[in-house]
Amino acid sequence: MPPKADPTKCDGCQGESEPLCEQVCPGNLMTLDKETRKAYCREPGDCWDCMTCTKACPRQAIQTTLQYQIAYFPGKLIPLVGTNSVTWTSIDCHGRVERFVMKTLVSPDDEDED
Amino acid sequence: MAERVYIDADVLILGGGTAGCMAAWEARRTGGEDLKIVIVEKAFIRHSGCLSAGMNALNMYINQGKPEDYVSYARYDMCGAPIREDIMLSVANEVNDTVKIMEESGLPMKKKEDGRYLNRGKWNIEINGSLLKPITAAKAIEARAEIYNRVYITDLIVKDDACIGAVGFGVRDGKFYICRGKVTMLCAGGAAGLWRPNNHGDAHHRIWYFPFNAGSSYAMCKRAGAEMTTFEVRFVPVRTKDTYSPTGTLSIGMGAPMVNSLGQAFMKEDPHYVQWGGHTAPTPIRAYGFQRETIAHRGPVFMDTTKGDPAKVTGIKGQYLDMSPSLVLYWGCNDIDPSKEPVEIDGGDPNIVGAHAGMAGAWTRGTSRETTVGRLYVSGDALGGAPSRFISGSWTCGRITGRSMAQALKANSYDYADLEPALVDALEERTFGPLNNYLGRAKEGLWTDGTLMSGISPKQMEDRMQKIMEEYCGGRTRWYFISEPYLNIARRHIKRMRNDQLQYLCARDLHDLQLAWDVINRLDVCQLVVEHISFRKETRFPGYVLRTDYPEADPDYDCFINSKWDPETDEVVCFKVPYEQIVPGDRRKETI
Repeated sequence: MPPKADPTKCDGCQGESEPLCEQVCPGNLMTLDKETRKAYCREPGDCWDCMTCTKACPRQAIQTTLQYQIAYFPGKLIPLVGTNSVTWTSIDCHGRVERFVMKTLVSPDDEDED
Repeated sequence: MAERVYIDADVLILGGGTAGCMAAWEARRTGGEDLKIVIVEKAFIRHSGCLSAGMNALNMYINQGKPEDYVSYARYDMCGAPIREDIMLSVANEVNDTVKIMEESGLPMKKKEDGRYLNRGKWNIEINGSLLKPITAAKAIEARAEIYNRVYITDLIVKDDACIGAVGFGVRDGKFYICRGKVTMLCAGGAAGLWRPNNHGDAHHRIWYFPFNAGSSYAMCKRAGAEMTTFEVRFVPVRTKDTYSPTGTLSIGMGAPMVNSLGQAFMKEDPHYVQWGGHTAPTPIRAYGFQRETIAHRGPVFMDTTKGDPAKVTGIKGQYLDMSPSLVLYWGCNDIDPSKEPVEIDGGDPNIVGAHAGMAGAWTRGTSRETTVGRLYVSGDALGGAPSRFISGSWTCGRITGRSMAQALKANSYDYADLEPALVDALEERTFGPLNNYLGRAKEGLWTDGTLMSGISPKQMEDRMQKIMEEYCGGRTRWYFISEPYLNIARRHIKRMRNDQLQYLCARDLHDLQLAWDVINRLDVCQLVVEHISFRKETRFPGYVLRTDYPEADPDYDCFINSKWDPETDEVVCFKVPYEQIVPGDRRKETI
């Protein structure tokens, strides 16, 4: 799922030395367009779909779609990262929505239960 | 000349992944407060490497029985082949402690009502592991390791048969990094991308293994003169079609067997597979089952999820979101409901790994993790002969390596070696070679599309290499079949690329320089793979390498195949190394 950044949302992480997506990408693929000052994936075919950039984007500007060669259009998978969990919204190609809340870190509440 | 950065470390760790982070943590525990620990990482340590997408289970955990039983399982899963039982046992002895440490560090474990970890199968436990990498990296930070992100290490420095450091370039700053270590640990992952991937274009990297692990661990060890082992055992993933997501989640979570297009659960029903162990046959045999059924025109092959409990589908999707989120969307955008129709599976491009169901890597002395090059240690996928360590075993193996290094520093009076300026200059020239090559060759002219008239890009070279390996070294489209006449062609081309064609390799920027080094390293690994497969004149791992000229296992090859590279002749010299059985019992059976 090569990441696509929405130009109306991406602000290039102004104030950061480099945008967060560029900072975290394990493949060194996210980079800033020198003219528009917005982030993009320099080589979509090289992306492993780990979604690290999508989760890291502070403005939820990066969207995940599947490569058309392997799946029908349209469809989206949106992670919303919380403190101890991530909420995933999957919208399939017919517009059906599914939501999943997945734990990501042990939270103080868990420790109380123990 | 590039700006230079000099780094000295008591413990120099190359690769901030599963093994490297835990090595730093354990080295601090053993070596004390004053130890200077440095990690050099080519990406950003909190999100780099194999763990970047997360993981939904830990596949090495002693749920039952003894550590010896796990060693027996790992041996069985490699078709009873020789494995380093000493190394496996050392990992199995400590793996449960490591998991406890990670739970205490914030990793959410799934638990049963009695408070024990929720197991999935015999040796696996379920986790919510989407933040596995940040949690792992936090252990290195806790250990106060000095971390250098975005530095790509290109070569080790060896003097008098000992490793004294490494050099590399800053992926962002373009500086030349010169690192000296009293001891050095190389743990930069395995090798993906030697063969052609199934998907192309914008899905080119929709593959099983982490595509940015380009074999630098193996290539640098090889070039440093280390003894290497088992490069003939390549891992062939049989996974969900197109996304290459794991199938264990389905087979165990939904009770789904592999079935062919006739609906036959062939692993369980066909005596040909039952003799190997049926549906729990060794990993290479399950890959072979998929291949044989498809070649016999009984494909496509599926995981039959339709007999399972439909209520479990939501839970299964959640598990995939923790490690392979694209599959959930793939189902959604291909109208697939796994409770109503079986999930198609496919074979992917082979990978060279040391810690999954493969065992390539550097040979190590006893359980020290020190290679045959002094003061050079390996762990994780870089360590050879010890399969099925997976994540929890690689954490553990990293800890053992960290401890071993700290102990070696106490026991010996290692010091920093002096680096001759001429050597450093030569290493710098080599490191930035493809970049300078571009500048030189750009003067000779560019085509109207901006490409070089007299140079080759890293991508072009990768394509050429993958085509050779695909067609002459048993790629997916050749059904993994290999024989000597094909290998001879592969050998000739890989040699030609390494010796004659690298002079044309050009990198137009620092990202390209990273890709250029990836292909240089991959070509070195290709050489190891071709020579090892050629030397093992038998078929011991049918789903991984099917030698059509030697289709059966041969007792003469019931041993390790090791090798050493001769820089003078550029030959990889292979030789046999005996196997030592430590855990008694029938090697083709599990003890429990």
